[in-house]
Amino acid sequence: MVMGDIVTGCDVLVIGGGPGGYTAAIRASQLDKDVILVEKYDLGGTCVYRGCIPSKTLIHAANIIYDIRNPGNIGIEGSVEFDYKNIQQRRFEVVKKLRDGITTLCKKYGVQVIKGEAFFESSDKARITLPDGTNSTFKFENAIIATGSHPREFPGFPFDGKFMINSNEALGLMKVPEDLVIMGAGYISVELGTMFAKLGTRVKIVQRSSRILTRFDPEVVEVVSRKMKKLGIEIYYNSRPLGLRSENNKAIVTISDDKGNESELKCDKVLVAVGVSPNNKDIGLENTRIELDESGFIKVDEKRRTTDSKIYAVGDIAGPPFLAAKAFREGKVAAEVIVGLPSAFDNRAIPLTVFSDPEIATVGLDEESSRKGGFEIRTGKFPFHALGSALAMDKTDGLVKVVAKTNGEILGVQIVGANASLLISEASHSIEMAAFLEDLAGTIHPHPTLPEALAEAAEAALGKAIHI
Amino acid sequence: MVDIKFPDVGEGITEGTVVKWLVKIGDEVKADQAVAEIETDKAIVEIPTPKAGKVSKIYGKEGDIIKVGSSLVSLALPGEEIKAAEVKVAIKSPEIKHVEVKPEIRLPEKIIEEPSKVLATPSTRRFARELGVDISGVMGSGPGGRVMDEDIKKFAEVKPDTALEALPHEAMPPIKLAEERIPIKGIRKTIGERMTKSLFTAPHVVSMDEADVTELVVLREKEKKRAEVKGIKLTYLAFIVKAATVALKQHPYLNASLDPQKNEIVLKRYYNIGIAVDTPEGLMVPVIKNADQKSILELAKETEELAEEARTRKIKLSDLKGNTFTITNIGSIGGIFSTPIINPPDVAILGVHRIRDMPVAIDGEVKIRKILPLVLSFDHRALDGAQAARFMNTLIDHLRDPDLLLLDVT
Repeated sequence: MVMGDIVTGCDVLVIGGGPGGYTAAIRASQLDKDVILVEKYDLGGTCVYRGCIPSKTLIHAANIIYDIRNPGNIGIEGSVEFDYKNIQQRRFEVVKKLRDGITTLCKKYGVQVIKGEAFFESSDKARITLPDGTNSTFKFENAIIATGSHPREFPGFPFDGKFMINSNEALGLMKVPEDLVIMGAGYISVELGTMFAKLGTRVKIVQRSSRILTRFDPEVVEVVSRKMKKLGIEIYYNSRPLGLRSENNKAIVTISDDKGNESELKCDKVLVAVGVSPNNKDIGLENTRIELDESGFIKVDEKRRTTDSKIYAVGDIAGPPFLAAKAFREGKVAAEVIVGLPSAFDNRAIPLTVFSDPEIATVGLDEESSRKGGFEIRTGKFPFHALGSALAMDKTDGLVKVVAKTNGEILGVQIVGANASLLISEASHSIEMAAFLEDLAGTIHPHPTLPEALAEAAEAALGKAIHI
Repeated sequence: MVDIKFPDVGEGITEGTVVKWLVKIGDEVKADQAVAEIETDKAIVEIPTPKAGKVSKIYGKEGDIIKVGSSLVSLALPGEEIKAAEVKVAIKSPEIKHVEVKPEIRLPEKIIEEPSKVLATPSTRRFARELGVDISGVMGSGPGGRVMDEDIKKFAEVKPDTALEALPHEAMPPIKLAEERIPIKGIRKTIGERMTKSLFTAPHVVSMDEADVTELVVLREKEKKRAEVKGIKLTYLAFIVKAATVALKQHPYLNASLDPQKNEIVLKRYYNIGIAVDTPEGLMVPVIKNADQKSILELAKETEELAEEARTRKIKLSDLKGNTFTITNIGSIGGIFSTPIINPPDVAILGVHRIRDMPVAIDGEVKIRKILPLVLSFDHRALDGAQAARFMNTLIDHLRDPDLLLLDVT
């Protein structure tokens, strides 16, 4: 591989250095392929710079501040001072550590990383434009597209970086806003709304339907709704924004509810979190045989192969759910398929976590989707307040729900409560291993710990829970 | 504005499939620049534009079937402008202003994950793929119908036919396992049409014989290394092509075609030898032009090149036509004798099979000799068995005695 005007070649060309892309590149390189990874910015993608990692870092700090100020009934009192700039500074350090780590891993496994932009000229050639504007054409045996997605705009309310901001810009604010309006009530809205509320912001959420977190089990969402109310977050249900104007360096959002009652919400920033759009432009897809679905995501099969047989797609660009965890797995599958291994994205379920307060984590089917899927089901519930461990930590808001077929095959698990994001992995593994309620109930869980709730919920579904 | 049409590329081709557009709307193209790759029944051809201009419209998408004479792209000729209506202008509003909109937000639908995929662990699912078993068709023997490794193993061992009968209805494998349907199109369709027409139009007679090529084997072994130095793979086929052209010159009725309209036999004084090549898409017949004027080494080189181009679908249409006689080299794969079908518009086709060690009686003694089986299918409308046999004799003489063959080299 030599740079220059002449066409040079590689076995696998990976476009995009986020979770899907760098994982695919490293795995392909581990399997002795000559791999080039092209990334426009730095390695890490949305996850490292604009999503999972920055939000988790800031949420962690906000939780500590909140917990010190609100220790509950554990017999202590405290106060805390903070400078948000220092919290942001640490966020940059965490991000840098991860970026350097990924860069080192690529080097270690022999992935050649090129900073630039790739553009398909045909089904086996791509032009790479370097930051200095020079071009090289690369011939590849296989390509993996991992270009990801970007925040979607609210129709009629374009992002302007000043008042109308996306989740990335919200995470990048160097000052905690006094008033924040959030459009949409999906998981990003709930996570960032909760975080800013804990940092002292007055948060208002405008939601077009009568519920928040509509993709989650209502019983689970109820626990989070209660806490959001306690945090002073106001939710305007069945409402939609009508217009926006600025006044004395503040934004004023006019909203209307379903009865036509209008109100004005004054704020410093308006955060829009209404989903994502695919990064499918300016990469030359029209020069390949790749087909897109009606939302613009690349159509892939179980092996993550596109309709152009030598080209694969992984991560957000290959369609929902938009999760780094899904991208990691897809990246490995695509790389392994390329070298001829019998891999496939055949997972039975994909876990999803929300870093709300308390956390939500789910995997597989809930009651509603099981019934829609035509299953006869049995469910088991176990509340956190019946857990010794939760009582000890004063984290009693929460529950675990297990949904199974009547024969005991576990279809899904929903958790809301402290550390739900950690608890869910046992449930994911159970479903992936085709476990039955007896398998989960019959496993010894250390005591006193939160995961006991999983075994207890499984026992409840079998009709014989001890502790409730 | 001018429309660039799919031109008549000859060989009776009436339609083609757009494999790939090589231009997009807004591209400036030069005269003779290729605008599309089109797969015809014969090959993939690049269609050039006769004029320069700016692409303003592309008719159809990749995979579409396009008829000869219909438009491929529209060009705005130099001086013409693409209509404003076709250019999208992005308008950005820098200031926040009061806007009245009825927002239609499409929030992501509640994700209904595909309920209950196959009940099996990840390692078992992978094991099934390793054995090529569609796990959704396997009945599990584990608790609650969980599919175990043992089930996969058993399923893979059972023959497909008995599997269909032995398994209960709900565990019946999907139909695609027992049967697969391949659309007849492209080269496969052309082969079918041409062969059906040939076999049911020309009364075929097949003549079979053997050539003792012991000396040719020795010669070829000796010359092979020298050819290798020049980068040429010296094949028996090159010798056979040479011998065939010599024999065709002496027996002109085999290098001919029929003109049914005029009721005439057209004897050809040029010798273009078609070589049947097995490609992944099906049989293709590249043609070595003026084979009689080429040396054995040149024939070997050209055969190899054309065959490779045919296999990779890079071959030009002009290299697939103009045959006057065809040779099919079945020997490289197997079989002793076959009855080849004449490749129109030829009147004869020569099939060559594998050279084998055979006992041969020579002067009252049994000797082991290298024997090459030969078959000739010919069109009885153009010639008779005696002519065919004489042609074969000349051919066999030249293969038996390579010196004779070399003397004929022009």
